[in-house]
Amino acid sequence: MEVALLGNPNTGKTSLFNELTGSYEYVGNWTGVTVDKKVGTLKKQIGQLIDLPGVYALNPISKDEGIASQYLLENRCTSTLNIVDASGLSRNLHLTIQLLEFGKPLVIGLNMVDVAKSRGIAIDVHQLSEELNVPVLPIIARTGKGCRDILDYFSLENQHVSHFSIDYGEKIEKAIENISDLLHEEQLNHRWLALQLLQGNQIVLDHIKTNKGIDLERIQRIIQELDKQIEEVEKCSLARAIYSKRKQIINDILEKVITKEKNSDRTFTDIIDSIVTNKFLGIPIFLSIMYFIFHMTFNWIGTPVSDWLDGFFSGSLSEWIGQGLQAVHATPFIRALILNGLIAGVGGVIVFVPQMIVLFFFISLIEDSGYMARVALVMDRIMQVAGLNGKSFIPLVIGFGCNIPGIMASRSIEQPKERLITVLITPLMSCSARLAVYSLFAGAFFAEYQALVVLSLYVLGVILALVMAKVFSFFLKHEHSVFIVELPPYRVPNAKTLFRSTWDKSKGFVKKATTFILGGTVVIWLLSYAGPHGLNVNIDQSFLALVCGYIAPLVAPLGFGTWQAGTALVSGFLAKEAVVSTMSIVYHAPHSGTLTGVISQAFTPLQAYTFMVFSLLYIPCLSTVPAIYKEVGTRKLTWFTVMYCVALAYIVSLVIYQVGRLMGF
Amino acid sequence: MILTELKKGEKATILNLSGTTELVQQRLLDLGITEGEEVCYKCALPFGGPCMLEVCGQCIGLRRREAKEIQVVRT
Ligand SMILES: Nc1nc2c(ncn2[C@@H]2O[C@H](COP(=O)(O)OP(=O)(O)O)[C@@H](O)[C@H]2O)c(=O)[nH]1
Ligand SMILES: [Mg+2]
Repeated sequence: MEVALLGNPNTGKTSLFNELTGSYEYVGNWTGVTVDKKVGTLKKQIGQLIDLPGVYALNPISKDEGIASQYLLENRCTSTLNIVDASGLSRNLHLTIQLLEFGKPLVIGLNMVDVAKSRGIAIDVHQLSEELNVPVLPIIARTGKGCRDILDYFSLENQHVSHFSIDYGEKIEKAIENISDLLHEEQLNHRWLALQLLQGNQIVLDHIKTNKGIDLERIQRIIQELDKQIEEVEKCSLARAIYSKRKQIINDILEKVITKEKNSDRTFTDIIDSIVTNKFLGIPIFLSIMYFIFHMTFNWIGTPVSDWLDGFFSGSLSEWIGQGLQAVHATPFIRALILNGLIAGVGGVIVFVPQMIVLFFFISLIEDSGYMARVALVMDRIMQVAGLNGKSFIPLVIGFGCNIPGIMASRSIEQPKERLITVLITPLMSCSARLAVYSLFAGAFFAEYQALVVLSLYVLGVILALVMAKVFSFFLKHEHSVFIVELPPYRVPNAKTLFRSTWDKSKGFVKKATTFILGGTVVIWLLSYAGPHGLNVNIDQSFLALVCGYIAPLVAPLGFGTWQAGTALVSGFLAKEAVVSTMSIVYHAPHSGTLTGVISQAFTPLQAYTFMVFSLLYIPCLSTVPAIYKEVGTRKLTWFTVMYCVALAYIVSLVIYQVGRLMGF
Repeated sequence: MILTELKKGEKATILNLSGTTELVQQRLLDLGITEGEEVCYKCALPFGGPCMLEVCGQCIGLRRREAKEIQVVRT
């Protein structure tokens, strides 16, 4: 059995998915959180559940919505689970009607009954089920209340196929009939296909085109004819006429189902909104929040814990393991590999986990509270200057955590041009892996102003991204820019969601450190241990120094023309935090103290800052490249993205270093 | 009158949406914003930034340029 989970955006589909499958997928309080199809196994092994991006209708506008329609056309699901937001029934039922027309067994999960109740909306569930002729199960996906009923329902053998059908009026019905007759080759429900075609659903049309046995021209003639008739009689488009008919039916149903006690108090959401989207305060508040987050991450919580961990790794832990290795008579080679390679390298990255957790926690908080959509609103005017819209800012904020989900989040942007530009600029966002580089350098050189210095790098990334967006927009076909964003009510973040979402993001980092970085570290260490003259050579005579010595002159004009910096940058392409693990190895000398100490001698503050800027911009990491490819669709554009980052990094760093030197830093 | 002429917090009924582009219109319909619905103009951001509306108990943000194409009548 394969159950498709469909519903409007931000109605709790993914929350329910997690509840029913016991897995964890990304939950957040804004439109466009889920942008891909996710497969999970229903508890009790009764089948598969497919989580899909939220859609308002089956006629998609943005790319993520297309994924849901495309999935239905594949005709793989055996039944559908429609999540309906009880606090916004009239809008949600448009999709429900289209799903009923789709003709697969359907069950409605009436979610957010808690929200509806608090707004004074009472819903007669039994009546609703009667009207639509399908089972309706009230649930609260967030707490898991009622979710068992859904599982139990799917455990039943024979599921209810609805016989719900709207009479769209004589003319439209006639056209539906005529089109259906031409579709006998098709597996999918003919009436549904016909209606979607009449509404102008491009994805359905493309699907029909692939079926050679269908007389497409005749279908299109029927549609055009009907369109003209409707235009004449009802003075509106055909799609609109169908919409109005559905709306009328929905209103009739809701009349019988909903009783609303009027309560028009200013809600909690209104009060917060009057502050955070205030004319004058909106942007300052957003910037203060960001600054506060960095302050928490660096000065108050993250760094102290990181420092403690660093002390532990380079102190007690190294000692214990050293003694342990001595006790088992490990060879000097193994001892050096473990102590100078693995512990220095991987440990050098792991120490930044606390800072990352703090940052991820706050990003999750922004995501789950509902503030994200407000950020889009507040930033729209600025983004407009750069040729984008406020929604493009969401991928950028997510990109602060990791560029990959940021790039994927661009799918919910409606305009193809704005979507493409957003993908191109998201790699300039300072992801958490880069944070490891900043922490190391800012800690060594700018201890007192850490939060400020790091914030400056984030801001620099954003400013350059906007400048590049403007530049790119000159080269792309002009499109009418649009911006419409749903502003969901604020929700007090759920502790469980917050915890899981923070952990889910941090997990990737820890996993990378213990696999990818670990492997890379061993290779780097071996290259630094071996040289043309044998093993255990002086590090300056190692293969690593010899090979990466060629890179040094290239970056010398930027102020860090050493082979050590060159090596770090090369391995930084694998993953940005590898810059740190590599530096831990190449600067590791016995009794040299902590890495911070060594580094503060190897660089001047200006060089350090330039190095941070270069690390921020110079290349999307190896795992980001396929994500870019997936979104832009061509190799050429992917290469372009990588190369423009390199060029931009070089130019900006050069300017900073040379100007800084002239100014006497 | 047009939507943006409303004062902050004022309510009106939507008369006509057809001035907006096809894409915007489809999105507005998706969000349940149609002729005959009551809309509350909540606020607007400075320098011609977007404005915030409430329709059917649901808040949305919309560019001012688009909002200017929506005709309403005060209720
Ligand atoms: N109050 C309340 N909030 C919910 C409920 N279900 C989900 N949410 C919240 O709604 C937001 C959207 O949830 P999500 O599962 O990402 O929705 P999706 O976009 O449909 O996948 C999250 O902030 C959830 O915590 C519910 O039953 N009651
Ligand atoms: Mg989701």
